[in-house]
Amino acid sequence: MTRNELGRIAGGTPRAVENALAELAAGYEGTGLRLQRSDDEWQIVTAPEHAPQVAAYLGADRLRLSPASLETLSVVAYRQPVTRAEVEAIRGVNCDQTFYTLASRRLIEERGRKEAPGRPILYGTTWEFLECFGLQSLDDLPRALSPEGALVLEGAQTAPSEPG
Amino acid sequence: MESQAPRVTVEGFDGPLDLLLELVEEKKLDILTVRLGDLADAYLARVRAMDTLPADEVSAFLALASRLVLLKARSLLPSLEPLPDEEGESEEELRLRLVEYALVRERAGQLGARLRAGERAFHREGGTVELPPRGGEVDALASAWSRVLALASRQREEELVAPGERYSVEQRTAEIEALVAAQERVSFATLLGDAPTIGFAVVTFIALLDLYRRGVIDLAQDELFADIVITRREATSAQI
Repeated sequence: MTRNELGRIAGGTPRAVENALAELAAGYEGTGLRLQRSDDEWQIVTAPEHAPQVAAYLGADRLRLSPASLETLSVVAYRQPVTRAEVEAIRGVNCDQTFYTLASRRLIEERGRKEAPGRPILYGTTWEFLECFGLQSLDDLPRALSPEGALVLEGAQTAPSEPG
Repeated sequence: MESQAPRVTVEGFDGPLDLLLELVEEKKLDILTVRLGDLADAYLARVRAMDTLPADEVSAFLALASRLVLLKARSLLPSLEPLPDEEGESEEELRLRLVEYALVRERAGQLGARLRAGERAFHREGGTVELPPRGGEVDALASAWSRVLALASRQREEELVAPGERYSVEQRTAEIEALVAAQERVSFATLLGDAPTIGFAVVTFIALLDLYRRGVIDLAQDELFADIVITRREATSAQI
């Protein structure tokens, strides 16, 4: 549900809706629910810490991804919207198969086309992506380096760009 | 299919940059200062050791190998004229790519850890909830029930009086079809008449379902428990 829809139905200004959403999110703290945001859309989801119980109730399988798929997914997640060629340039390998895998699991989706020669398709992550990784929004993507990552990347923080 | 087997392998290994990064990490070198050309030998040894390198990946590995060898040659013979920039990426460009890739692998690892932790969210499935049509008040339910009771008690009396009555669906279907052909719209209550027996009501209802299935009629019910309106479907759509 978008903020404008909420405003139209509840009869409030975008600002009032924003405040109400923040209040709602705060109210969910410590309960089984969370408010999730993707761009300007909002939805109510179960709290990630209760995933085992909810998954057992729904009979849901745990998502498994190969390291290659995870790499492709992380480039899409941190750089979106991004074309397949851009992902391939970064990973240095052909990503046909991983794009297919990720799209068929609805973790990534098309986001229009880039205004560049050939008008290549742009990709971004989906609601399912946020859900599968227990993120409340893209702002929750990990930003800090893990201890192992810090060993390799220490001092290199300025070189690569991670917009967002 | 031929392409199936190697595909699995492609999923498992992660390309030339991954291999190069692995070497940097194994040797505990500093990614920002290591002379990448020094890694050429180790890199080539590892590529050679890969017994099942998928054909479509070989070129990517070899391209990086040749780049590394060139960098090594440069460092051994510093007097070499720097080649004009038609020669592809410099050591710094390659290093930048490697650092960028290292960051991607780092992020992938973090996402993978989240996935393994299994702390995911679920949204409510099924989209919009379908609400029952308005008018489903308790009174309507009660009056519908009393109609059923009245019908049932009348039924029993009638069956005692005239037990031999029989209806056939075919016959009833033909009757209704004729009726609808004549007057286009008719209500279910009309078809049942004043005091239908259960048998008659059932046969009439089945006949309606059959006509609907054949696309002869349309059925509409405006409210919960309201009368069902039967209308003739237009000839064109009845052909389907």
